[in-house]
Amino acid sequence: MSDRVILAIGTKKGVFVAESGGARRGFALRGPFGPGVPVYAALVDTRGTTRVYASSCNPFFGMKILRSTDLGRSFHETKSAPAFAKDDGRALANIWALEPGPGKKDIWCGVEPAALFRSQDAGDSWEIVPGISHHEHARKWQPGGGGLCLHTILRDGPRVHLGISTGGHYLSDNGGETFAASNTGIGAGFAPNPYPEFGQCVHKIARHDAAPGRLYLQNHGGWAEWTGPGGPRPDIGVLRSDDHGRTWRSIAKGLPSDFGFPIVVHPHNANTVYVAPLDPATRTCPGGAPAVWRSENAGESWRRLARGFPKKESYFTILRDAMDIDGLKTPALYLGTTTGQLWIGRDGGDAWACLFDALPPIHCVKVAVV
Amino acid sequence: METAPTVTVHLVGPLRRYCAGASELLIPAGTVRAALNHLERRQADLYANICDETGRVRRHLNVFVNAHHVRDLDGLETPLAPGDVITVLPAVSGG
Repeated sequence: MSDRVILAIGTKKGVFVAESGGARRGFALRGPFGPGVPVYAALVDTRGTTRVYASSCNPFFGMKILRSTDLGRSFHETKSAPAFAKDDGRALANIWALEPGPGKKDIWCGVEPAALFRSQDAGDSWEIVPGISHHEHARKWQPGGGGLCLHTILRDGPRVHLGISTGGHYLSDNGGETFAASNTGIGAGFAPNPYPEFGQCVHKIARHDAAPGRLYLQNHGGWAEWTGPGGPRPDIGVLRSDDHGRTWRSIAKGLPSDFGFPIVVHPHNANTVYVAPLDPATRTCPGGAPAVWRSENAGESWRRLARGFPKKESYFTILRDAMDIDGLKTPALYLGTTTGQLWIGRDGGDAWACLFDALPPIHCVKVAVV
Repeated sequence: METAPTVTVHLVGPLRRYCAGASELLIPAGTVRAALNHLERRQADLYANICDETGRVRRHLNVFVNAHHVRDLDGLETPLAPGDVITVLPAVSGG
């Protein structure tokens, strides 16, 4: 069977699924599923039978996990959702990340307040991962603008990288049994000490299998004009590590802003990385002119990609999980906006077109080729 | 030993799927808290939709005994009489 591109689009009003052939000429939209309920995390899991997952964050009745086994034609609640123990004192407020775990049916789930859960049965039952959820720092983390969320889960053999806002980057070298804060070089703009041990507002982290040890990180930048204690911090927003996240250095030079949310790596070239810089004050497109920026040399220089986007009067936000890239030979990027537009960036982001113009505000976009 | 009064828990549509489609349940409970405790033991999926992990009624739900919000009575300690109706309703909110 020829390739099909499946997009899971998490919105303020439920999850939509869009499907296209491999040529990506047009996408058919299905949904909303879990209608009326915000979805902040989605996953198209292509291991074995393709399963599409979505969090469903019901403000009335609590958190659910939705699962589809028919490529997003129908969704059903799993048998349970992550939950803290009764004596823990915390209550689940949101689900921010769904990622494949090491086993075929393993799913890892990052939540708010920041904690990590894992399922070994495709989401039907869940257990807390104590190494991070009960970490000695956990009760000291503070919520960022989106809440105190564990939003990034990256696995690399025995290593597990987590992104927490605001907790920073945490690294496990033993498959998630124990974690340590690993933030050397990651700045914090909102604290007198620019480089604390933990507490950074990491927005998203990305990696590529072909570049062992390298990580890219979009941090909470936008502090170039700061004149308070600690002084200006013009380059804390976009970072790179070449030692498995133990130390980090800025790769923000050349960008119009070091503030942004998503960061995405090209599927076939570990040196090619994409960010979507935003004005740090408004968290919208700088100058009202949307653009994605691409580096083809691991962040040493950047090129603006704006062909097809409006040239003015566009002030949307692209949230941390609202940009993804497919794995086809010439990949396309997908970008969802808080104004409900879903954009495709064909030819690796060289040519942008709006696929859907009036969806509900988009929280996350995940793509897979099946 | 005194027998707890039998009361009715009326369930709105979205909650019925968590108790085999029932629109109401007859349960023994002397207070609203006892009613919730009963649901926790006997209807765990339903209970998880009404109360969070800490045991608090979810923030955007309102609990009524007959026509009165429990906040205007004795909260979860509100005593129940035979035939009372507990209703759990989503708050008017959203956008």
